[in-house]
Amino acid sequence: MGELGRIHQLIVPFFGYDLTFNVEAIVMTWIAIIFLLIFGMLAARKKSVIPGPLQVVGELIVGNLFQLTEDTLDKELAKKYGPLICALFLFLVACNWLGIIPFLEEPTKDINTPLALGLLGFFIAHYSGIRTKGLKTYLKHYLEPFFIMLPLNIVSELANVVSISFRLFGNIMGGAIIILVVSYLSYSLVLPPFLNAFFGLFVGTIQAFVFTMLTTVYISLQVK
Amino acid sequence: MAIEGADIVKAAACLGASISMGLGALGPGIGEGMVAAKACEAIGKNPSEAGLLTRTMLVGQAVTESTGIYSLVVALLLLFVV
Amino acid sequence: MAIDIQTWVNVSAFSGAGIAMGLGAIGAAVAEGNTAASANYAVSRNPSASGEIFKSMLVGQAIAESAAIFALVVAMVLMFSPFPSDSLLWVFVMLAAGISMGFGAIGAAIGSGFPAAAACEGMARQPEMSGPLATNMLIGSAVCQTPAIFALVTSFILMFKDYTGLPLAPTWAAILGAGISTGLSTIGSGVGGGLIARESCLGMARQPLTATTLTNTMLLGQAVTQTPAIYGLLISFMLIFSSSPETAALTPAMALLGAGICMGLGASGPALGIGITGQSAVKAISRNLTAASDITRVMLIGMAVSESTGIYAMVISLCLIFVV
Repeated sequence: MGELGRIHQLIVPFFGYDLTFNVEAIVMTWIAIIFLLIFGMLAARKKSVIPGPLQVVGELIVGNLFQLTEDTLDKELAKKYGPLICALFLFLVACNWLGIIPFLEEPTKDINTPLALGLLGFFIAHYSGIRTKGLKTYLKHYLEPFFIMLPLNIVSELANVVSISFRLFGNIMGGAIIILVVSYLSYSLVLPPFLNAFFGLFVGTIQAFVFTMLTTVYISLQVK
Repeated sequence: MAIEGADIVKAAACLGASISMGLGALGPGIGEGMVAAKACEAIGKNPSEAGLLTRTMLVGQAVTESTGIYSLVVALLLLFVV
Repeated sequence: MAIDIQTWVNVSAFSGAGIAMGLGAIGAAVAEGNTAASANYAVSRNPSASGEIFKSMLVGQAIAESAAIFALVVAMVLMFSPFPSDSLLWVFVMLAAGISMGFGAIGAAIGSGFPAAAACEGMARQPEMSGPLATNMLIGSAVCQTPAIFALVTSFILMFKDYTGLPLAPTWAAILGAGISTGLSTIGSGVGGGLIARESCLGMARQPLTATTLTNTMLLGQAVTQTPAIYGLLISFMLIFSSSPETAALTPAMALLGAGICMGLGASGPALGIGITGQSAVKAISRNLTAASDITRVMLIGMAVSESTGIYAMVISLCLIFVV
């Protein structure tokens, strides 16, 4: 039980500052990226009218996500943001599913990964808001309904980043801790794989979908 | 036992922050759930307006959440400023 | 008059057992009464289906009762196992185990009563659907029991953890906080999950063609409803397994206790809200199956946003544990 919440860190001194690297999260992120690259290459290798099994899976995922983006944003914007949304979802699913493989861990278990992705979505949403509405209209939105509400409006925008990233972190971390504790308490062969399937595959997919959809929704709220 | 005044104040601030955020999360949580519930029912009745209804739901939830955000602000102020 | 540690440990073990069983009986009693009332109503409506209705009432009540049985187990362990009496810490361990299981049984039991009641009514309305209805009810109420299982796990970890060498001063608050966090946070999840399962049973009886979609949506909704309880469990594990240096100051203790209270209270509201959302979504799908994918998507987004205040509570709890 000692390893609960322990993080392997590499601390590099850099001109008087200590740079901290969470080795596990970085390595696992790269593993997830490599998995995705292999999947993408295999799915797109032999493109044909009669698709192979991997191509079908790839087309299904990308097509559905593109449709969802079109529903939330509109046709024009979906062309621009669709690739981002697809990439985000696939990356998150790969990360959340990584934990079911023995000796590998979910990079999303480290708060830095969800936080980085949440900030990415935040900046993209606000950048596209400024681009489409113009700086003046964008800033005016913060003074509604009264100008006194300015600090609270800013806090509520920032709170969105907190909630979106901690939602992912809490679910994945909670699942991992429950699996760890249950396997420590009971020497059962059935329970941990079942829990792994539930938290890793099911909850992991739902949370990846929720994260992706919320990023899309935040973009659409800023743009429209 | 030397319990100092500053210690008691800080301890009370910690407890206060937790009660503020704990109770403050109760109401908005239920309220936002109700907003989303009505949105789901409305989409069931009129699916063609799904996009508009979703946006209305999100704006409504954002407003409902504002009291939760006041609690969050108060809790953070209690923890890190007082 | 000197009262030794053993006496205090016994006092708190018996009080903990009382809290666990006393609170733990509330939910099961409410749920069983609810189910029996619905079964009576259903039999009066359709006497020819009384056999099926009676069977599903009994099964539903048995599931609702399992939360109370967990509480009974914890109470028995508290009363009859010989706990070491080397530290006053055990006083708080017993109390926390009782609080966790006692509160944890309320929501799960009330929640699993809802689908049982709805299944009885549904069987009266649509007797040919009794097979699928019984299955759906079983799945739905079994998922409702997960918060009670979380509480049971927390109680057992609290009771059987090795506390040697841990300082009394801030650890007592961490242990009490862990009990409160899991206990309170499971209430909303249990009731919310039950609301979803009830609506799916009712919808299935009203519109048998939607059965598969309703079961799937119910499971999805219930999985999201569990997340606040998972946050509560996460915070209480962090409280149990974090070690703080010994201190006479009041602040660290209050911060740890506060983390538990904050997460416990903060999780129950959003979970109930998520349950209400899921309930309406399932109802809408049972009336208009063609819009199912739109409704599911909006349900997930709405649930995720409703959860955000619970996440703020988790963030404040994490700040209280790790920063203060």
